[in-house]
Amino acid sequence: MDLTYSLIAVIGTLVVSFMVSLFLPGIERKFIHARIQQRVGPPITSPGIMAPIKFFFKQTINPESPMPRLYNALPLISLIVVIILLLFLIPQMYFLGALASIIAIVGFLKVEEVMYMFMGSLSKSVLSVRMPFPDMAKGAKHPETPRSFVEELSSLRAFRLIAFGSFPIYIALFVSVAKTGSLYLSDIIAYQQIHGPILFSLAGVMGAVVFFIGYMILLNEYPFSILKAKPDVIEGPYLEYASKYRAYVYLTRGFLMFVLATLFATLFLGIAPNIMNINFIITLIVALLFPMIMAVMSAFSPVFTYKQFYPTVAAVSILGVLAIVAALL
Amino acid sequence: MSLKSYSRGRAIHVMLVYTGGCNGCDIEIVNCILSPKFDAEQYKVFLTWNPREADVLVVTGPVTKHNEKPLREIYKAIPEPKAVVAAGACALMGGVYKNCHGDIPSEEIAGPVDQIIPVDAKVPGCAVRPQDIVAGLVSALPLLLNAD
Amino acid sequence: MDDNKQNRKVIEAEVPMGPVHPAALEPYRLRLFVEDEIVRDAEMTVGVNHRGVERIMEGLPVEKANSLTEKICGICSNSHIWNSCRTAEIALDIEVPERAIYIRIIMEELERLHSHMLYLAHGCEVLGHETFSMRLFYIRETVMDLLGMIGGNRVQYGSAVLGGVRPRCELDEMRLQKITEGMDLLEEKISAFADRFVSDPMVMSRITGVGLISQKDALRLACTGPTLRATGVANDLRTVMFEYDPFDFDVITQDDGDVKSQLLMRVFENFEAIKIIRQAVRDLPEGPITNRSWEMKDVPLTKSYIEVPRGTLYHSYALEDGRVRNCVIRTPSMANIGAMQYACIGHHITDAQLSIVQCDPCFTCTDRAIEIINI
Repeated sequence: MDLTYSLIAVIGTLVVSFMVSLFLPGIERKFIHARIQQRVGPPITSPGIMAPIKFFFKQTINPESPMPRLYNALPLISLIVVIILLLFLIPQMYFLGALASIIAIVGFLKVEEVMYMFMGSLSKSVLSVRMPFPDMAKGAKHPETPRSFVEELSSLRAFRLIAFGSFPIYIALFVSVAKTGSLYLSDIIAYQQIHGPILFSLAGVMGAVVFFIGYMILLNEYPFSILKAKPDVIEGPYLEYASKYRAYVYLTRGFLMFVLATLFATLFLGIAPNIMNINFIITLIVALLFPMIMAVMSAFSPVFTYKQFYPTVAAVSILGVLAIVAALL
Repeated sequence: MSLKSYSRGRAIHVMLVYTGGCNGCDIEIVNCILSPKFDAEQYKVFLTWNPREADVLVVTGPVTKHNEKPLREIYKAIPEPKAVVAAGACALMGGVYKNCHGDIPSEEIAGPVDQIIPVDAKVPGCAVRPQDIVAGLVSALPLLLNAD
Repeated sequence: MDDNKQNRKVIEAEVPMGPVHPAALEPYRLRLFVEDEIVRDAEMTVGVNHRGVERIMEGLPVEKANSLTEKICGICSNSHIWNSCRTAEIALDIEVPERAIYIRIIMEELERLHSHMLYLAHGCEVLGHETFSMRLFYIRETVMDLLGMIGGNRVQYGSAVLGGVRPRCELDEMRLQKITEGMDLLEEKISAFADRFVSDPMVMSRITGVGLISQKDALRLACTGPTLRATGVANDLRTVMFEYDPFDFDVITQDDGDVKSQLLMRVFENFEAIKIIRQAVRDLPEGPITNRSWEMKDVPLTKSYIEVPRGTLYHSYALEDGRVRNCVIRTPSMANIGAMQYACIGHHITDAQLSIVQCDPCFTCTDRAIEIINI
């Protein structure tokens, strides 16, 4: 009986989360971007649900890549990692011990980031070097220079994101650790059930701001979208994905939006995603609020270059460190 | 209507390729998609710059010699089902640039778009109006919806 | 040119872009030579748009040739047809009625407005600021509606003909009223947008100090138009054109020569254009709009320069049996292309496209047959 209950809770939570996450890109586009840009905007189902379904029905082509199968497998791996991430946040899975801890979450988020790097270096799109154009004519400048695809550029940027860009979100994760003194999610939630949510303390507020910036960076949303900035790298790592693999890319993005917001609710509000608990509504509200605030920010900002990116990340990281100090005091 | 057709009708990704027209059509098409006044997104038309994502290729311009191969490559990169919309007088028949004098063809032009890639819908006009572009996309839709 | 800046050995990689690329709406090939994502050298290959309009014009009757020049560029179509007519009018000593000149100037300044708005919108799009870009496109619709009302078409309006303007472009009371209302609306919207634009810290930090062209370099690279004026050189052909004599306007200059001053330059020029249109509407003289009493004769090479939204436009041709011979067209974007290559050197690769866009490229204008002697 107990096992059945847990099973229903876990599967139910996953399914409901997935359903909700499908609507997030549509909400972002229709209710925030379009409203700010004073236009009607697409139907709410179009960007999140209908576009992936449409891509499932497209012809499967071989991508231009040195390792086409690996390249095509990457978005699926990405999606699975995000699902696993949500799985370990569900309270019924806390018996797994070390896997349901901050360390495991950090690890899975890292995997998510490393994917971008592989995608970038494996994609060889038609839009840069392979474009047949007689530009290496006699008299061309620097003919001996090695030529690189624009995706390689975005692969380099993914490398930098791993190196420094994802600082804020990891620091924010450890705010709650510093506050509760435990790495385990079960302990963090138990602490908050006794002492009230971490969010309603000084450290919690600072941590929430840092978490939010980290959330935007991890999702590559404007202004932090150096990975897939339109002015130079077009779509970056995703350039060669077509048909169902592109559908996975779409689904992963919506799901990651949801899961990171759930992570926030778990760590800062003490509410684990569990369909059997009435507090799941709060998780859903957080999951809706996060993309909406992010959409407002992204609608009003240009894409950053390193000149703006480094100081922002540095300032936010310092704020995060201060939050940890405040949590320890 | 099957889910396949329904989903195809609800999310149409459009890619633009300019092949050496006069910019008039190009701006009107960008206007059609970016301007809140026309806002093609409300008709479920999304702008993309990646052939792998695109469903409909909108081509303007008379296709100059330099642009012939890139156009073919981009057409090849779009996965099936796909449709091509040729927009503007130049894309339909070469416009004023097609012939030097009388019937002497110009050396610079590789021909109107339908000599390079198959064209499914033609949008006339010099320059095309944003409303006509949306109408042209709609007229190419049955092809996408009924494809396998 | 600064030898250290351009001639040092490029070591890392070349990133080619185009001819299909979202930042450059028009087709051209850009090769960026980068070192740790900093652009060390750039090469632009134009020629994709070359359709040989001059070649097609060769031997056409002058009226036909005039309307063909309009198809050179969809952004500054009126400038081309005006200058082509002006060349023939200078050659054949045709006296253009004053009312026609005023209407031509109204069209030209409306075109300047829409060209500059497009420039700003494109600039914001390349910045990655979709919202600003859309707002600018929305403001621009006012101008497009006015142009559509006067010329009957939103892009190629063909207002100028030999000896005046097309009868379709006659301005009656209702049209003048609409232009006045449109100008009021535009001034309000553009100033509101400009206030919002300059008070945005993120946008300002992206565009300040990027794409620098010093005044010395701008003169040496033979820049023209707003690109040159944004570096502090008060060079505007409108001050010497007799058509603009009755109008009171300022030549706007900016000091810095970076993307910020280039963008603000266009905003201020928009206000000057609105000022000129208001004066033209207020003082519009009565009388005919075409002068048909002229005779065709053979004339040697005649040239005409006018100031168009992007700079100085040059047309020259000879007339033989009423047909055009030896046509040469030199467009302002052609002159600015050196500055485009130069401006992106030393900046981050994301800023490179922005540095090119700041010079207001129009590659359909640019692709003329030219001979580069020595820069």
